[in-house]
Amino acid sequence: MNAVIRIAMKDLRLLVRDKADAFFTFVFPLLIALFFGYVFGGGGGEKSAMPVAVVNEDGGASSKWFVEQLSKAGGIEAKPAETREAGERLVRRGEAAACVIVPQGFEDSTKKVFSGGGMRLEAIVDPKRSAEAGLLEGRLNELGFRLLSRAFTDSSMMNSFLDSARQDVAKSAGLSPLQKGVFGTFFDSVSSLTKEVTSRSTVGDTNDGETRGGESKEGAAGGSAGDTGGGFRPVTVTMHELQMNPHSPNNSFAVSFPQGVVWGLMGCVMAFGVSLVQERRRGTLLRLCVAPITKDQILLGKAAACFASCVIVQVILLVVARLMGVKIGHPAIMAAAVLASSVGFTGVMMLLAGLSKSEGAAQGFGRALLLVLALIGGGSIPLFFMPKLMQQISSVSPFKWATIAIENGLWRADGWDAMLLPGGVLLSIGVIGFWVGRSAMVRSRHSYDYL
Amino acid sequence: MIRLEGLTKKFGEREAVRSLSLEIARGEVFGLLGPNGAGKTTTILMVIGTLVPTSGDVHIDGKSLGDDPSLRRRVGVAPQALALYEDLTARENLAFFGGLYGLRGRELNAAVDGALEMVGLRDRAGDRAKTFSGGMQRRLNLAAALVHGPDVLLLDEPTAGVDPQSRNSIIELVRSLKGRGTTIVYTTHYMEEAQKLCDRVGVMDRGSMLAMGTIDELLRDHGGDSVVVYHDAEGERKVVTRDPAAEVARLIERGVRSGLRIDRPDLESVFLNLTGRALRDGGAE
Repeated sequence: MNAVIRIAMKDLRLLVRDKADAFFTFVFPLLIALFFGYVFGGGGGEKSAMPVAVVNEDGGASSKWFVEQLSKAGGIEAKPAETREAGERLVRRGEAAACVIVPQGFEDSTKKVFSGGGMRLEAIVDPKRSAEAGLLEGRLNELGFRLLSRAFTDSSMMNSFLDSARQDVAKSAGLSPLQKGVFGTFFDSVSSLTKEVTSRSTVGDTNDGETRGGESKEGAAGGSAGDTGGGFRPVTVTMHELQMNPHSPNNSFAVSFPQGVVWGLMGCVMAFGVSLVQERRRGTLLRLCVAPITKDQILLGKAAACFASCVIVQVILLVVARLMGVKIGHPAIMAAAVLASSVGFTGVMMLLAGLSKSEGAAQGFGRALLLVLALIGGGSIPLFFMPKLMQQISSVSPFKWATIAIENGLWRADGWDAMLLPGGVLLSIGVIGFWVGRSAMVRSRHSYDYL
Repeated sequence: MIRLEGLTKKFGEREAVRSLSLEIARGEVFGLLGPNGAGKTTTILMVIGTLVPTSGDVHIDGKSLGDDPSLRRRVGVAPQALALYEDLTARENLAFFGGLYGLRGRELNAAVDGALEMVGLRDRAGDRAKTFSGGMQRRLNLAAALVHGPDVLLLDEPTAGVDPQSRNSIIELVRSLKGRGTTIVYTTHYMEEAQKLCDRVGVMDRGSMLAMGTIDELLRDHGGDSVVVYHDAEGERKVVTRDPAAEVARLIERGVRSGLRIDRPDLESVFLNLTGRALRDGGAE
């Protein structure tokens, strides 16, 4: 055991003394994590539009118009979501500030704007982003007014609204016949007014697109719901605060630090994989083999150094992540994730060293293959940002499983059950990689039968 | 002390070493002389157990390294390549290798200091190996083989590519180790080193041991005749003879004095006579 520790300590000392290796193992991943964290946090340039998930459960003409206008609204980046759950997921992951739901019955609710109730919308908001939610509510009311004003230039829409209102008034038991008559007269007047406005608009406008342009201006003019309506709000937005998972990514660095881990693990694999090949070329492996220690002690020593550096680089990244305000959701799972990742990538290192017959081969293999695996495994784009197909393809990358494991300890908080797959994959890679790498080294003629 | 029996190593179809048998006595300095590619390094690697022979056996004190791994503690190796960690200091290198042989604490420190002293690098103990000259690295390479105090030392071309000062230093060191009773196997393609240091020399070429014996035996059996050279009125004259002393006495009796000298055969001529080639014509090993 003493020899294993001696070899590991020697290798760690050599790693620290090689400035390039030390930089790419310990500093570069940190810079990557900080850079992406800063960029994801919106610090990378001009403030972009507020991302809002939009779910249309109604599917009627008005709801489609509403969703379309929401997409066009300045300051809002609408992200269509198929279902309420999908929209909620986007909010939970921090990819959207809120999720606007146009519920079933929206079309009907627009018709009741003159007879009580009005348009109803729902929004699911991240409680941490209440300021953005307030802004969003204002924009939804603005769009409500625009939908309402649209009715005054569209006689068929207005007639539909008025027909619905007449039916409601007729059914109402609380209104006297006189009151019902007054409402009937009012509705008739509105209908006549709308017809006149529509005919003038049709004469003045040449196409629907220009008409929309005009509406846009009207919407802008009456942009403030409060100003135009004097307290009347055409849209009732029911805000639901999302029950945020306490371990969700609480800031952008919680997303970027697992990326840093990917690059750190790659640095370790490259540094130690190449160093083992170098030992063979330089003859120091011969000295190790001549010493009264076993071949497995030598390989375990190399593996222990790689394992230790994998742990160290992850711990450094996590410490800095904490300083950047990242919360570690589940410390025990995080510890397991760090250990499993370290075992897995120690196996990858052994594989790299075993299959490479020269330093050039090791570096080429590392650059060509590991770089691609790191990129698709979450090193450049966080896994949950990737399209589904890409997420499936990335399963071939051990970096993906390390990223999932780390994210699970950090913010996914899917529990120990969710650790079984990534943990199992990583441990398997570790064991298989060590075994295959060891066998390749033992069988290689280039090792002079040292091992 | 060291016995090689029918040692053969094949790489595919190529026989790097062919049926090599020899015995080296305790305290003896045995030279393996031959050009690059002769099979010297392959033989050393089989002796230290890092290369498995295709056939044959190696025994040290009657035991095989495979059967008794503890024998490794008694063996030191200075490979032809500089087997050092360039980013470690001289002291760190030696402490690391000494530690692998079970040395600890004060014992390790003393061994490291002793090895540094022996190779004249004590004042550079704290410098990284990569800052050393080629000769100094070669000496440190030797120190790494000595640090655990082995009684068998295998030196593979220990003076390859070093400056004359370091070469002399290494030769003196080997003499000193010989004086302490260390058994040394010394491979070289420098015949003058072999002549200076070795009790016996084995001449190898293309994997085979061509001849083996003391320097005098090799010269006598394979060196060919001596040449007695002198000058007379007609210029330089050469007399080839098996008994140069008698020939010189005869010439002196005749009153010949001018330019009189004896050109004795050396290991170069031994190799030439054995192979028909000069010693340094061989390919890379």
